[in-house]
Amino acid sequence: MIDIQLIGLFNATLQAATLLFIAALGELITEKSGILNLGVEGMISVGAVTGFMTAVNTENIFLAVLVGVLSSSAFASIHALVTVVLKQDQTVSGLILTILGLALSSLLGKNYVGKKLVTKLEGVTSVTDPSSILEVLISQNIIFYLAVLLMFITSFVLKHTMFGRRLEAVGEDSRSSDSMGLKVAKTQFIATCVGGAFAGLSGVYLTLSYVPYWTDNMTSGRGWIALALVIFGGWKPYRTALGALLFGFLEALVPRLQTYGFELSPYIVKITPYVITILVLVILTIYKGGKTGAPKNIGVPFFRENR
Amino acid sequence: MNNLKLFKRQSINELSTFYSFLIGFVIAIFIGSIILLVQDKNPIDTFSLMLRLSVGSINSLSSSLNKAIPLILAGLGISIMNSVKLWNIGAEGQIFLGAIAVNYLYINTQFNSPTLHIFVLLIAGFVGGSLCILIPAITKVVFGVNEIITTLLTNYIVFGITIFLINGPWKDPKSLNFPAAAYVGEEVFLPTIFGKLSFGFLICILFTALAHYLKNKSVFGFEMRIAGGSALTAVYAGINARQKAFIAMLIGGGFAGLAGAIELLSQTHRVSTGISQGFGYTAIIVAAITGMRPLGIFLVGCLFGALSIGGSVIQTIGVSAYISDIIQASTLFGALIIQFFFTYQIKKVEND
Repeated sequence: MIDIQLIGLFNATLQAATLLFIAALGELITEKSGILNLGVEGMISVGAVTGFMTAVNTENIFLAVLVGVLSSSAFASIHALVTVVLKQDQTVSGLILTILGLALSSLLGKNYVGKKLVTKLEGVTSVTDPSSILEVLISQNIIFYLAVLLMFITSFVLKHTMFGRRLEAVGEDSRSSDSMGLKVAKTQFIATCVGGAFAGLSGVYLTLSYVPYWTDNMTSGRGWIALALVIFGGWKPYRTALGALLFGFLEALVPRLQTYGFELSPYIVKITPYVITILVLVILTIYKGGKTGAPKNIGVPFFRENR
Repeated sequence: MNNLKLFKRQSINELSTFYSFLIGFVIAIFIGSIILLVQDKNPIDTFSLMLRLSVGSINSLSSSLNKAIPLILAGLGISIMNSVKLWNIGAEGQIFLGAIAVNYLYINTQFNSPTLHIFVLLIAGFVGGSLCILIPAITKVVFGVNEIITTLLTNYIVFGITIFLINGPWKDPKSLNFPAAAYVGEEVFLPTIFGKLSFGFLICILFTALAHYLKNKSVFGFEMRIAGGSALTAVYAGINARQKAFIAMLIGGGFAGLAGAIELLSQTHRVSTGISQGFGYTAIIVAAITGMRPLGIFLVGCLFGALSIGGSVIQTIGVSAYISDIIQASTLFGALIIQFFFTYQIKKVEND
């Protein structure tokens, strides 16, 4: 007989991890192509609000997910336009994408604050109160299984397909890739939009299942933790998933500490994930001594010198 | 066959940043107009109302300039850190910790001279901002941890600490359900120059000149640029790049912390969540859009301050205040797009 509290903790861990993992996986794909997109927070927010609005208005959950994913991907294409086509600074563009995304979603969602969802993303089985590890695993909603699937697919695509190899070549050495005839700009553009789509999926998971409602700035830094997760995972999908589980566990554990007899101020409890993220980054950097596994060309705009 | 090819221009117009900004601003106003039209609001009426309520009278103009103070100071901090090619995304947290440091010192010390008291409190704000960036600075120069993520995460940490303080140890029982610390005494309020314009604006002018000197005229600024430019050159020139980066980060954080001190002593008069309304993030736009030039930051800061005031007053006619955030962000995106045409040339070439 396993403690019912532990079951709840496990369930909450999976849900928090799913949210972080999908966004991190998308950013991983973008960064593999040599494009750094610091706009994850803004992209999640755009996906979250558009998905929620669609769900409220149409009560069609499938359409809501689709709209969230596509709008976030379209939003990411601004970053692709500015950095890939127009070769401007990736850090600046990404940061502004976050600021713009948060402002835009607050504007869009103004009339949706406090609205309730009639239909939301439900678990795939009818188990609503899981009482064993197995029941937790089979009672998650569709996006959890999609995330697991995406993890395998992404890993396979990166390692074993032409697109994946092209992506890696472009991110490692865009100049050589270009002289070999690879389409650098096209690859980077696609990778950025895919990253946006993943962030959008994470966003709809947030508003259609995880919380589920809409309020301003509800992403509360998860996009930035996702960025840290990519570094944590050394730009590898499985390790990133492991990192997501660790952070998901912490996010799930901290509010439960009180039930285990720890006396902590709830306000201090709230900041622990951010403190831990910094600690983990420091430990990781010391441990790896600079060899992080980052794509070599990350952040460097590609421009073909004409002779 | 004809083909379009991209060429880097031999020389870039000196005023290209300025022109890019102007055109970017026009693009942003256009985008803002579309958003207003979608919401069934007349853009011309709305923008002229915004203009009137942000610069139309001495009172509104001084409110706008007050709003510019934190944007300019935090923007200057970001630009100083950029000299060593580092990003400060943590200005928001530094503003809060600056205010917290001021309040801490205010509670725990007593001065006979109000002028000296205010002076010491302003220094406390600067130190608070530096303290806020201390951990990202140490982890950057000692271990090489990405400062973008660590400075950003400190925003959430400091905001959490602020919430803790104003709900717990510092909670003013008189503020009832609104969590806030007790007001500071009137003797430490910053005086006003004219209208509502705070003395902080003069500090702002002083620090703009200081940042300009530090970045462009001083030996330290020169060393910072070399340290940020090439690690090898720095070694040859005998410059300790890590030390320059560390100092630049502490100064950058201090500028934002000072902004927090001024907000506390001239606007809110107490520590609450209202100390900063995203100033640290808007400051990133202000700094980036001017190509990190202190004088530009001062001017754009004033414009964006007016835009924020305009945005908050049009809420009364049912327009979301986020419209000014969107205009600010779109200005930078517009400017980036225009900057491309100043840097590159598209030519038709014949393929062989």
